Amino acid sequence: MKQPQTSRRSFLALAALTPFAVAATTACGTSGPGASSGGGGASMWYLSGEPNQTTMQKAVDAFNSANSSDKISVTYFQNDAYKTKIKTALGANQAPTIIYGWGGGGLKTYAEANQVEDLTGWFEQNPDLKKKFFPSVFGAATVNGKIYALPNQYVAPIVLFYNKELFQKAGVQPPNTWDDVMSLVKTFNNMGVAPFSLGGQSRWTSMMWLEYLLDRIGGPDVFKAIFEGKPNAWSDPAVIETGTKIQELVSADGFIKGFSSITADSQADQALLFSGKAAMMLHGSWTYGAMKKAGQNFVQSGKLGFVPFPTVADGKGDPKNGVGNPAAYMSISSKASDKEKESAKKFFKDGILTDTVINAYINSGSVPIVNGIEDKLDKSEDKEFLNFVYNMAKNAPSFQQSWDQALSPTAAEALLNNIDQLFLKSITPQQFAENMNGTLGK
Amino acid sequence: MSNAVSTAPRAAARVSDSKQTDQRKAALAWLTVPALFFFLVFAVIPLAGVLILSFTSWDGIGAIGAAGLDNWFSVLADPGLYNALGLTFLIMIVSWLVQTPISLLLGVFTAGSQRYRAALAVLYFLPLLLSSAAVAIAFKALLDPNFGLATGLGLPFLAQDWLGVPQLALGLVIFVIAWQFVPFHTLIYQGGVRQIPKSLYEAAQIDGAGTIKQFFHITLPQLKYTIITSSTLMVVGSLTYFDLIFVLTGGGPGNSTRILALDMYLRGFRANLMGPASVIAVILVIIGLALALFLQRLGGKDKQGSQLEGL
Amino acid sequence: MSTVLKSNIQEAGTGLRGGTTAAKRGLGSRLRRLNIPGGLGGWIWLAIIILPVYYVVITSLKTQAGYFGQNPLALPTSPTLENYQMVLEADFATYFMNSAIVTLGSVIPTVLVSFMASFAIVRGSGRFLKLVNGVFLMGLAIPLQATIIPIYLMIIRLNLYDSLLALMLPSIAFAIPLTVLILSNFIRDVPNELFESMRLDGCSEWQTMWRLALPLTRPAIVTVAIYNGLHVWNGFLLPLVLTQSPGLRVLPLGLWTFQGEFSVNIPAVLASVVLSTLPILVLYVIGRRQLLAGLTAGFSK
Repeated sequence: MKQPQTSRRSFLALAALTPFAVAATTACGTSGPGASSGGGGASMWYLSGEPNQTTMQKAVDAFNSANSSDKISVTYFQNDAYKTKIKTALGANQAPTIIYGWGGGGLKTYAEANQVEDLTGWFEQNPDLKKKFFPSVFGAATVNGKIYALPNQYVAPIVLFYNKELFQKAGVQPPNTWDDVMSLVKTFNNMGVAPFSLGGQSRWTSMMWLEYLLDRIGGPDVFKAIFEGKPNAWSDPAVIETGTKIQELVSADGFIKGFSSITADSQADQALLFSGKAAMMLHGSWTYGAMKKAGQNFVQSGKLGFVPFPTVADGKGDPKNGVGNPAAYMSISSKASDKEKESAKKFFKDGILTDTVINAYINSGSVPIVNGIEDKLDKSEDKEFLNFVYNMAKNAPSFQQSWDQALSPTAAEALLNNIDQLFLKSITPQQFAENMNGTLGK
Repeated sequence: MSNAVSTAPRAAARVSDSKQTDQRKAALAWLTVPALFFFLVFAVIPLAGVLILSFTSWDGIGAIGAAGLDNWFSVLADPGLYNALGLTFLIMIVSWLVQTPISLLLGVFTAGSQRYRAALAVLYFLPLLLSSAAVAIAFKALLDPNFGLATGLGLPFLAQDWLGVPQLALGLVIFVIAWQFVPFHTLIYQGGVRQIPKSLYEAAQIDGAGTIKQFFHITLPQLKYTIITSSTLMVVGSLTYFDLIFVLTGGGPGNSTRILALDMYLRGFRANLMGPASVIAVILVIIGLALALFLQRLGGKDKQGSQLEGL
Repeated sequence: MSTVLKSNIQEAGTGLRGGTTAAKRGLGSRLRRLNIPGGLGGWIWLAIIILPVYYVVITSLKTQAGYFGQNPLALPTSPTLENYQMVLEADFATYFMNSAIVTLGSVIPTVLVSFMASFAIVRGSGRFLKLVNGVFLMGLAIPLQATIIPIYLMIIRLNLYDSLLALMLPSIAFAIPLTVLILSNFIRDVPNELFESMRLDGCSEWQTMWRLALPLTRPAIVTVAIYNGLHVWNGFLLPLVLTQSPGLRVLPLGLWTFQGEFSVNIPAVLASVVLSTLPILVLYVIGRRQLLAGLTAGFSK
């Protein structure tokens, strides 16, 4: 039994220690690109997806080369993954310096947990910056009277897109009323084309339908009551009617078969529209730019049409009302170092919405939230769409922020879950209202 | 004289023997310290933590506050909990009903001596090598109604909206779980079958029993412990299915595949409700313990001693 | 789990080596009569296993145009490795390294500390050790998933968030109960006489552990190493919650992120699936005998 025991034991010990040693070096302070606070300079998390990803990367690169001591590093995440990841990061105090968001209830959670910087003073010191933006965008950035985020990017209302080629083929016009919608459903189903494309698995895409329907039927006050947490606000008859109409649409095969397994992140829903498998699509205005890039000349050859959401007979809502994202919102992590915060603020002032960036957004079919761009819009090749969006945003008597961003994350998650079930017809509109009433004020 | 001389050292040896033995046995206790350390710190303390967190209100971002029994009341009154419980047990039972017969039969099959069976066994093991994420992604692509298996095999039946219709999604989940884990249980049964003494079969043959009779009267009873082991692993394991279902369906469509573990994760990390999520975690632990105890009883595994006797 | 276990290792070993013990012959002739339904069932199951694998592999070699154009089950007309290139460029080598580090860093300590604890439990006596044994047995039923929230909290407090170490520590803890169970059952079957002879030779318990128990327990150690290794390698929840930097992703997480971003490009996604499985596949081809023998031995009764 004279085995080389010591050598075996020491080998085992060495083998056991090596991974720890390696791990320890990688554990202390997160290394690699996109590192969060901890000596790596200011960092930012942003959404992946074209064309915005390239636009942002170019803006960051330009800023970095002009400001070598304030470099910003960016990490890109997919939309749905981002929404969860940023929460765990915040909880672990490892959030990036610049936090991307949609304002509203989500921002409120961060502000109340003291995770984001109060920028009110900074804006007062930089009045030019404040005047640059549409005045309406600051609403979603304000919590308890203080501003906690920089409005950014573009205004993104929800638009009803349609495939002009398919409409010509069918010899029909885009819908003006809900009754038009229902008859178009029959027409296109007979033609073997899905009436509406929908990325149902993402759920907030289905939510867009409810946002508009509720506004058209009951006006903006219905959701206002919900937002304020008034008891049983969800049981408003307008909500029930909205739910009923949506389920009628589903039952009439209004949406593409298999919609509940299509995600918006993969942009498969957009592909269905420009590849001619679906006739219409209700989606955010940002998809115009995405479809311009991926649609193989579908947009450029003028085949993409767009109209406002149809009205509903006897509806109280103003047909000019809009629904969507007033802007994107960038906050600064309160846990970042002072240097990182300064770099971030510098970027906010000089780098994030430069003329280059503004032009890039316009070129990709988005309307930046900057005042005085009417001329630029008119000169663009997409001026029809851009003016459509711009006028909608400017003239809408009421512009409702996306529900899942306006409400708290807890209520939002319950909302998305219930919307999913509503569209699957596993719950009735009444049950939907009941379930949602339980989340009021949470 | 020589006697005294010879017995004295032996008696002395016996005395120092038992003293040594005690010392040795006491010293052994130290050997458990490292394992105990890891286990206590990273398993037992979090277990206590789950219980404590279930009485707090925390959104995962801000500070942790006390919430008394609120979370317990709200979760126990939430129909979502019972949906998740029902689904978890449904998947558990159906999975067992599907996987056990198949694994058993395959185990018997691969325990055979034919050369080709050994070759097959090599291939059968493949699914186990894939991570659950990989399996889920592969099946998602496979089930694409336009570019997947349905078109490939020319079977329109396969072109259903698998991931979009609640009942289909559930059935699919059970199928994919079976696809991934049957190989593992097959191995267990294969080993079990190989241990059955040939003498039993030869005796039965002499008595004129046919293969089917032999299967039911010899193979199955002899596999009792194997069945218990495999079932325990299967049942307790099914409580922890997360990866596969998360990537495949994310709990949907609607809530139709939202099992307990997934429900816990979504409540905590998506809806910012760490307190209620911890309540669900506690429920998970309780069920796991209860199941494990129940299965232990069933198998009479209190015998810790060696089973050398009798063979 | 007992000595039937040890004889089983020998059986499994000879079986895999195609030995011709009487047992094999007896079983074989008995089963040959079941051949037709049995054989048929076997081939059907093979088809069920192989078809998805086949589909994944050939699709990963197609171009996107080929994917959209050809019959899904047809071999690619112009096979290409561009998908694999794309996947490798997407940092998969890093993900592989991370997975390897985490797996080794979990399995080795697990086996080490569990082996020592098992030895103590079997060879020792007294209330303390019985208590420890009981604690570990209870741990068998605790699902890792249930404790993810406190672990998240703990890791943050320990300043280990977003590190590979954060993935190793809970993995070790939750692998210990089953490992201890299997190893202690094995050690229990080592005849007492062998231990006695070691003691008479003047070996301390420590020496006995390394010189006697370790070699004899080797099959079971292989079992638990492989079982735990597979578990950690394919683990998803811990990395999902406890890491965030792209540079620290492990393979399953990398896979999921990749497919989220490129889900329209199915050939690329499936190439990533193949690439992430390749290392284990290679290990399987090399160490299959050990693997199967070990797994069979450890779990069967």
